Amino acid sequence: MRAAGALVESSGKGGGPNKPNQYASASIPGGLTVSFSVDLCRAQPARKPIALAVLLLSMAAGVCADERAVSIPHGTVDLLSEQQSIQPGRALLLGLHFRLEKGWHIYWVNPGDSGEPPRLEWRLPAGLRAGAIEWPAPGRLPIPPLVDYGYGGEVLLPVRIETTAALAAGGAATLAAEMKAVVCREVCIPAKAHLSLSLPVRAERPRESAETLALFTTARKALPKPAPSSWRPTARDLGDNFELSVHTSQTISQAWFAPLDPLVIENAAPQKTASTKAGFRLILKKSDQLLKPISRLHGVLVLPEGAYLIDAPVAPSPVRRPKEEQ
Amino acid sequence: MKRGFAFAVILVVTAVSIVALAARVGEAAPNFTATDSNGKAHSLSSYRGKFVVLEWHNQGCPYTKKHYDSGNMERLQKEWTHKGVIWLTVISSAPGTQGYVTAEEENEYLRRMKAAPTGALLDPTGDLGHLYGAKTTPHMFIINPDGVLIYDGAIDDKPTSDQADIPTSRNYVSLALSEAMAGKPVGTPTSRPYGCSVKYAH
Repeated sequence: MRAAGALVESSGKGGGPNKPNQYASASIPGGLTVSFSVDLCRAQPARKPIALAVLLLSMAAGVCADERAVSIPHGTVDLLSEQQSIQPGRALLLGLHFRLEKGWHIYWVNPGDSGEPPRLEWRLPAGLRAGAIEWPAPGRLPIPPLVDYGYGGEVLLPVRIETTAALAAGGAATLAAEMKAVVCREVCIPAKAHLSLSLPVRAERPRESAETLALFTTARKALPKPAPSSWRPTARDLGDNFELSVHTSQTISQAWFAPLDPLVIENAAPQKTASTKAGFRLILKKSDQLLKPISRLHGVLVLPEGAYLIDAPVAPSPVRRPKEEQ
Repeated sequence: MKRGFAFAVILVVTAVSIVALAARVGEAAPNFTATDSNGKAHSLSSYRGKFVVLEWHNQGCPYTKKHYDSGNMERLQKEWTHKGVIWLTVISSAPGTQGYVTAEEENEYLRRMKAAPTGALLDPTGDLGHLYGAKTTPHMFIINPDGVLIYDGAIDDKPTSDQADIPTSRNYVSLALSEAMAGKPVGTPTSRPYGCSVKYAH
């Protein structure tokens, strides 16, 4: 059971062939209820007290860890909480958790040349407000001659939930969202899921959920960090390319840049890295679709040891952009 | 020797013209000749004096389906061809990939969908797709009567595969054609094309 001790439910809608459509409920002493999908969990609804106890134990042990996951084409998705309860006045972190079959992927906020990022439409009770998805550093997904940005395998996309004065302790809050995404390999399949998660609202400081702690720790590490100010990222417009310079004051052998804005660079063009005394330079080919000068180069710099948010001022082109026919 | 020199000149000229061929808004659209599903050849140069729309297509792609199953693309084809626009659907899916069709299969599809392009160009080698840098299905290009590329991008501003988004979307192709026909500059000349990757041969 991922958010142990919490009131949890989830249901599938418009999913793939393994759409979970049978649910079993079990009451836990203390008035809490868990629901789970029989399809995915392979457990049978328990009617006898002993069977129920065994079932709860197996869930607590994580045997049935993904019982709430909703089937989507070539994977599952569920909504997880980092903590076991909500405390008025304290924000909490939820996570949109994807598990995909090998070879299939979903997309980053800028999906690159094709595809579409997952979207959430929240239904929250009064007193709760959802922030935007916080995007972990993406992978570079070549689909020759294109390059997309996204995630394969397992990924957790965190979403910060703020509490407002309207939230009072007592009872439970159900946080629900309609999720839309597209799951792709060579081909793409639209995915929809209705996700929901109920957490008790308590005055005391929430405890972390042991079941989800590792996933959230990994997700936090995968979020791009603000670039250290000493790096002083700057960019120059070289006509057909941008040159991004970063003063890392250490040798960087491998780096690539994922733009947050589409239509800025050619995603599929090789990015040339050159070491400098102060750090390194990256040559990024301009997008053919970029028709006007830009003043900032905004994106994520992916280095072997981690990813960093870059917002570099762009110095104008020293020479006019040469025309192709010259 | 002389012939060798002439050959070298031709090589150089070819290399230069290939560089100049990249499709870029504001520049001359690269010329092409391609054959449609009825065996008819279409040359861009023969359509000088008319607006030409290129629509990259893959009938199995959910984003293409969004615009065909809703009737949106067919409506656009009818509306703009009635106003004199040449509308060429282009299929660059390689044999064995999603969206690849024979001429007969495409004609059957066009009949079934009541689609009304001027022609559906079969490009299984992907040559035309690579010439224009077509990335997605759909990916839309508009060429003005002077042969200049005036739009390169998405069909509209709602990058989803959901038909429900069509009524509230801004259709960039209709906007660009309306503006250009009225003698105005195109307000949104480029946008990120959205959809499935074009299934090129590898």
